[in-house]
Amino acid sequence: MLKFVLHDAIGYVRNNVREFSLNALRLLPQLPQLSPYDVNLALRENEFVYNFPLDGIIRSYETNQLGSNSPCEDSRTEASLLHRNGFICGVFDGHGGAACGQVVSKRLLRYISAGTLPRQVLREQMKQGCTSQSFLKCHNDNVDFVSEIRPIYENSFQQYIKRLSAEPQRDVATELEQAFQQLDEDLALEALATNDVRTMSVALSGAVACLVHLEGLQLHVASTGDCGAVLGVLDPQTNQWQVKKLNSEHNADNMQEVERILQEHPREERETIIRNGRLLSQLAPLRAFGDYRYKWPVETMQQQVVPMFGEHVMPPNYYTPPYLTARPDVQQHELGVNDKFLVIASDGLWDFLTPSEVVSLVGEHINSKKILEPMRLPSGDVKLKEISAQLAERKAGLTRKPIDQNAATHLIRHALGATEYGIEHSKISYYLSLPQDVVRLYRDDITITVIYFNSEHIAKLRNETSTASSSSSSSSSSQPQPAA
Amino acid sequence: MYKILRGVACCQHAAVHSGVNNNHTALIFARTTQQLGRRLLGTAATGADEQVLSKRKFQPHHAIEPNEKPATQLPSQARVVICGGGITGASVAYHLALHGWGGETVLIEQDGVGGELPWSACGLAGRFEPSYTELKLAEYSIDLIKQLTARGLPTGWRQVGSLNLARNFDRMTSFHRMKSLAVAWGMNCEILTPEQCQQHCPLISLDGIEGGLWIPEDGVCDPHLVCHAFIAEAQRLGARIVEHCAVKKIHSEHGKVARVETTAGDVDCDYFVNCTGFWAREVGTLSKPVVKVPLKAVEHHYLHTKPIENLDPNTPFVRDFDGRIFFRECEGHILAGGYEREAKMVYEDGIIPLSQEARQYPPDWDHFHELLDALLQRVPSFRDASLDRLTNSLQVFSPDCKWILGEAPEIQNYYVAAGNKTMGVSASGGIGRVLTDLITKGSTYLDLHILDISRFLGLHNNRKFLRDRCKEAPGKHFEINYPFEEFQTGRNLRMSPIYPQLKEAGAVFGQSMGYERPNFFDLNDKQDEFGLPRFRIAQTRTFGKPPWFDHVASEYRACRERIGIADYSSFTKYDFWSKGNEVVELLQYLCSNDVDVAVGSIIHTGMQNPNGGYENDCSLARLSEHHYMMIAPTIQQTRSMCWIRKHTPQHLRAKVNVADVTSMYTAICILGPYSRILLSELTDTDLTPKSFPFFTYKELDVGLADGIRVLNITHTGELGYVLYIPNEYALHVYSRLHQAGQKYQIQHAGYYATRALRIEKFYAFWGQDLDTFTTPLECGRSWRVKFNKPIDFIGRSALLKQREEGVKRMYVQLLLNDHDHEVDMWCWGGEPIYRDGVYVGMTTTTGYGYTFEKQVCLGFVRNFDEHGHELAVSNEYVLSGHYEVEVAGVRFEAKVNLHSPNLPTKFPDREREAYHATRDKPDQADLLSFGNSSSSSGGDDANQTMTRH
Repeated sequence: MLKFVLHDAIGYVRNNVREFSLNALRLLPQLPQLSPYDVNLALRENEFVYNFPLDGIIRSYETNQLGSNSPCEDSRTEASLLHRNGFICGVFDGHGGAACGQVVSKRLLRYISAGTLPRQVLREQMKQGCTSQSFLKCHNDNVDFVSEIRPIYENSFQQYIKRLSAEPQRDVATELEQAFQQLDEDLALEALATNDVRTMSVALSGAVACLVHLEGLQLHVASTGDCGAVLGVLDPQTNQWQVKKLNSEHNADNMQEVERILQEHPREERETIIRNGRLLSQLAPLRAFGDYRYKWPVETMQQQVVPMFGEHVMPPNYYTPPYLTARPDVQQHELGVNDKFLVIASDGLWDFLTPSEVVSLVGEHINSKKILEPMRLPSGDVKLKEISAQLAERKAGLTRKPIDQNAATHLIRHALGATEYGIEHSKISYYLSLPQDVVRLYRDDITITVIYFNSEHIAKLRNETSTASSSSSSSSSSQPQPAA
Repeated sequence: MYKILRGVACCQHAAVHSGVNNNHTALIFARTTQQLGRRLLGTAATGADEQVLSKRKFQPHHAIEPNEKPATQLPSQARVVICGGGITGASVAYHLALHGWGGETVLIEQDGVGGELPWSACGLAGRFEPSYTELKLAEYSIDLIKQLTARGLPTGWRQVGSLNLARNFDRMTSFHRMKSLAVAWGMNCEILTPEQCQQHCPLISLDGIEGGLWIPEDGVCDPHLVCHAFIAEAQRLGARIVEHCAVKKIHSEHGKVARVETTAGDVDCDYFVNCTGFWAREVGTLSKPVVKVPLKAVEHHYLHTKPIENLDPNTPFVRDFDGRIFFRECEGHILAGGYEREAKMVYEDGIIPLSQEARQYPPDWDHFHELLDALLQRVPSFRDASLDRLTNSLQVFSPDCKWILGEAPEIQNYYVAAGNKTMGVSASGGIGRVLTDLITKGSTYLDLHILDISRFLGLHNNRKFLRDRCKEAPGKHFEINYPFEEFQTGRNLRMSPIYPQLKEAGAVFGQSMGYERPNFFDLNDKQDEFGLPRFRIAQTRTFGKPPWFDHVASEYRACRERIGIADYSSFTKYDFWSKGNEVVELLQYLCSNDVDVAVGSIIHTGMQNPNGGYENDCSLARLSEHHYMMIAPTIQQTRSMCWIRKHTPQHLRAKVNVADVTSMYTAICILGPYSRILLSELTDTDLTPKSFPFFTYKELDVGLADGIRVLNITHTGELGYVLYIPNEYALHVYSRLHQAGQKYQIQHAGYYATRALRIEKFYAFWGQDLDTFTTPLECGRSWRVKFNKPIDFIGRSALLKQREEGVKRMYVQLLLNDHDHEVDMWCWGGEPIYRDGVYVGMTTTTGYGYTFEKQVCLGFVRNFDEHGHELAVSNEYVLSGHYEVEVAGVRFEAKVNLHSPNLPTKFPDREREAYHATRDKPDQADLLSFGNSSSSSGGDDANQTMTRH
């Protein structure tokens, strides 16, 4: 049950050992060398691409996942919002077991899809007897909850939308925050009410989340914990890629966040709350879903959890819970024509690559794929020879063809194999063939979703909105909203 | 359980406390405790984790709009339910109706019939197909379309002919081979010079063209009209068509189709036909057990120009294979397309939207670029044509780029017709006919085993395998049909335990049923840049002398003069056993040879179908009184299980156990004169012919291992043994054999070498020489059919009849004279045989005979009178003729053999000389099997050996 504690310890040492890791690796007994074919198989195993119809804001998304833990503790979910034109996706990094991450990754999107739906539509749908999956359509969705668990979750959801339908509509940011917190509360209630080892394992394991909600031009990024989202913006003048970070990680490096926690607890605890860069010297992310060991009141812990798992389940210096919250920071951003793509990824990627590296890698990948500008044919009569000439020109632009079609795989390959002189196959091979018991020290689970925007459609929409209301157009970015 | 958890929690906790103090010893401690914790938690925590989620299944959809009521009411009962109203389903419905089953046939379609968008197919009705079966099916389809047209139904049919262009020598050779075959296959075609090509189609440029092949009777049609014509005819004949009705589940009872559940209600039925095209794989999951229909959708583009002035409406259908493109005239404009080298995958999760609109994919011009340029190079005048549109429609491909049809191995009376690629029109008519034959009569007029759905294993249906493989499949469509072509993707799937050793020894691999099998061994360049053994895929890529000739020659010599070691692990292996005598009863019924022989004997037998043809050709070793082991060709793994299950009499079903043990044993063959000495060194058992004769079985100890099933046969005509080794001993036994064999200069032998051996020795193999239409009497094996055994085995009456009437064709061996293997084109199977200048048959397998130093062809010879009627073929007829074999347009004189030859050898061996796999005189058999029951030491073959000497 307490695997997560260890997980974080490993996360802590991982950063320290990476420097000598590669040298150390060479000293390890000779690891099997994987062939390029095997490496490709391993890297591409979880690839997925989804192309949207041409008339949407999102052109396509590409996603991939490379596990390190077994089972992999990361999850990802992407879905189209029904009853309106929207898209929602999230990356979830579990710790202390995969349960919480898996559950949150499925349920959070459902909660949000209901929360951001206009109340009128919601009420109509409720009359027709909707379910938790009535408001969204998941892509690449191959798993479902087991039948014992499903009704419990469905019941929580029904209660949630019942409350929701009675409340007035709020802005998207608030709805996102509410949905996060509501889901987190439901996890606890379900664990305490059902007394099922599965719901308890969900509440006691944890997960951080980064979630993207897009409706019209309004992009919201809600983030809890240490996943990251960056926007790739192409400067039309210089033709250079610029990075816009859309969240701030909640870890001990974030001074604002540390300050917030310290403020919430008595002065006496200042020394014990955050120690060695960890909450109660144990947990690295400072916000998370689940992890109820840091949230439940002392009595609940004593009465319900300790009898089940023993005294050690109590974190040290546990006086004034809750120490942890699932409340996200929400940033809003209005998409502009220069916003080309958005990358969200779990910290496994950010351990290796900086946001600017990520943006330039994806940018490069786009250039070689020319995905941003699908062949645009001149209007009217066009001769085949003209098309051929135009295609030849495009082809000439393909200076360096990447090995991977999928940008997420491209990123993983660079994360694991980048050296000063390009991608080194043997380095990737080393990383991939590390024995299961040490691999976690060298790389965490990596999950990446790259979303490509349809600039033409954005331009069209912006024209429409600017003619409709000539105000809010240029200042697309807004300040991070302080948590309520 | 909680006790365990608590313990773990405690030690992990301790680990963390020290871990965060950044202490390296603590780190190691953390690692070990984590391992420990993991092991302890194994069942508890991960179990709980996994239980939260379960994999999602393909859900039958609810796409039907409430206002779209099914057009006709669905009957509650029908004999046949066809699912899918595309051209294939329509054709099956039409043929069933034609057969008089119209009133009992229901076709259901989730959308409207013929639902594909107009012109998402090229409409070629052509017969340029790689095999006889496919060609005959296509030919029938074309004739059918012509017939429908003649009856006034709109089909869009126009016989414009097809012009096939070659840009290189090998392509031209393949055209010449096609032309040679044409006479055998009854097809009109003509080899053209570049100038003649231009006469047929003045549009094309001759830049780089070496020649062409003209097929005058090909034509074009409109697939939608054809589909509607089928539907209309089927309806006229009483078949019911129910649109906007989707299938939800296919229920089976006692292993047979019983009921189909649809969105419009349930239908009780006897037969279900899955013709759902894109969705065939997914529809396969709607039954229990899942029916495996390995298919994957890929993108496929069609280019339409705006109308072109003065375009000849009789422009032929032009295919420039080496440019990977084709084009045709279509309502005054040009329709063009092609098969790119690497196809683009769509719907990787395997779920294809049901509605037309959702399936619309934007065209990918960059992907089409190469094809566009190839088109413009071939027809420069198209440069000035205006674009109308580029459509991106999906096509599905099977992992071997062939059609999938036949009865599903998983459920009886569940038929599948899918994977028609882009050739729906050419395929559908023939497929409808053969499926109808199978459903109504149980057999049909063509051998279908290369298209049969039972050629697959579970691995082929793996989504990730399909994603990997099907990139390559469409490109194969226009590639030169070289001998022994291999796929580059989906490799290293099934490997024997000694695979790493073989790879290190320089093996170059071929794949059969997913199994990596060494084809030959090449010591050069066997390591990659890291000094590790390289995985290499065998390539021939020529119609002449293959690049592996010398390697195989040396392996061949080792097998004949010293000792060779080969991996036979891919062979299909079944165990049969029962408590009482039921297993003997079953096998006597299934097999044409007498299986009730002394324990320890090996019987080589066919499993015949009611027409006497080979459904399976196998060796049975009688391990004990009531236990047999069957060895069959690799490609029989799914197929023979189907056959056995289907034909086991009801009263034996519960009593006889049949188990597929292919994956439990590694098979190593040692062959050659020293094989007995070598094996003697490693085992305590006496291996002298007296105690372990040829064609018998013993369980031996080898090295330090025991329980190894050793068969004293090699399937090649050489003396030697095949060792069936439980997998965990395989490496040990292999190492011992290889080590001990060093003093005899043991050498690895690949599939090509063993193949060369058996061709020279005139051994027939199922799937290559034998098929479901070949009887034992035709291939010199009548001595292996025991008419006098006390059971009416399957096919007995047909074989008796044939014995009375005489065979209509005979299996022969031909040795080509005056063929220079260095410069002349080789035989690769499928060459026409001429007797006194008249076409009499085709070769099946061929190869170079390293002892004869000649091309050796195996094949069948028929006897036609001047009216084309078939007459009985006698030995005298065969031996009296003067033979020629035509290889890519050149005829070579040939000497004919009717029985296995005695090859000159430095190591004369009485046993080997005595054994002839193929024998000329049918009555010889009866004579030889005389002493059968009296001897206890061996099986029939061994006895025959003894009787002769």
